[in-house]
Amino acid sequence: MLRGVLGKTFRLVGYTVQYGCIAHCAFEYVGGVVMCSGPSMEPTIQNSDIVFAENLTRHFYGIQRGDIVIAKSPSDPKSNICKRVIGLEGDKILSNSPSDFFKSHSYVPTGHVWLEGDNLQNSTDSRYYGPVPYGLIRGRIFFKIWPLSDFGFLRDSPNGHRFSDD
Amino acid sequence: MAHSQGWVKRYLKAFCKGFFVAVPVAVTFLDRVACVARVEGASMQPSLNPGGSQSSDVVLLNHWKVRNFEVQRGDIVSLVSPKNPEQKIIKRVIALEGDIVKTIGHKNRYVKVPRGHIWVEGDHHGHSFDSNSFGPARSTTVTHVLQKSNHTEVGCLQALTQGS
Repeated sequence: MLRGVLGKTFRLVGYTVQYGCIAHCAFEYVGGVVMCSGPSMEPTIQNSDIVFAENLTRHFYGIQRGDIVIAKSPSDPKSNICKRVIGLEGDKILSNSPSDFFKSHSYVPTGHVWLEGDNLQNSTDSRYYGPVPYGLIRGRIFFKIWPLSDFGFLRDSPNGHRFSDD
Repeated sequence: MAHSQGWVKRYLKAFCKGFFVAVPVAVTFLDRVACVARVEGASMQPSLNPGGSQSSDVVLLNHWKVRNFEVQRGDIVSLVSPKNPEQKIIKRVIALEGDIVKTIGHKNRYVKVPRGHIWVEGDHHGHSFDSNSFGPARSTTVTHVLQKSNHTEVGCLQALTQGS
């Protein structure tokens, strides 16, 4: 009787470990479903939207300007942030908010990216904590699953004038 | 004939079953718990690679101890290089956020380490690409710890004042 129960418990633990490891490998190396919270990416991504993120682009260093990425938060190491890549290394960035009188430019250092939310008024991003090291990027969001009214690939940035291409 | 075919089929089934258990478990272990790597370069001499190019040290990289990014002064850690995300560098943590560091060869003589950052240096000063070149590093880029500090070494470090 006891042997039966023990056997069942071991089998359950074994399956949990196995499926947990498969889930880890899938999320780490392929991609997964993510729920976003917060208003900083409106109108592209609203609060409590469910999106699909892939991690292959990050491993092959193919992140480009205009991609929406998930990264480890520079201010709180246990949480993730979801922002758009405005500049890659070497790009010239307008590093002040639109309300400042003098426009100031700065260059994104090597190995870093400049992230901004689409909702510029309500987003703590690189304008607050500076350029983010590329190594903190976890994955790229490219497809929205929920709400169904907004199902499909994500739109381009509504703030096109932030890109400075020279 | 039927008997040997059944044997092959059972063998393949067992192989696939084992494969799909062993590979994810091994990959998860290497990512989340610990892995082994070879150290290259002379920036941590004499602690690591004292033999130079003759013999590279092989070290155990422990991820589990830094899964919450809690490092102490004196730990030897591996972090993603701030200049080249494809590379990992192994350095010693000299100072934590809030500390003031006396630098060697940096543009400012004294630097206060900002919040969420750490100051790392190689033991072989002058032959090391570390915070003296690229400034404070974000503590969330730390991936593994090699060796926890024993606190007798802290006295030799260059942290002048300790915040909080």
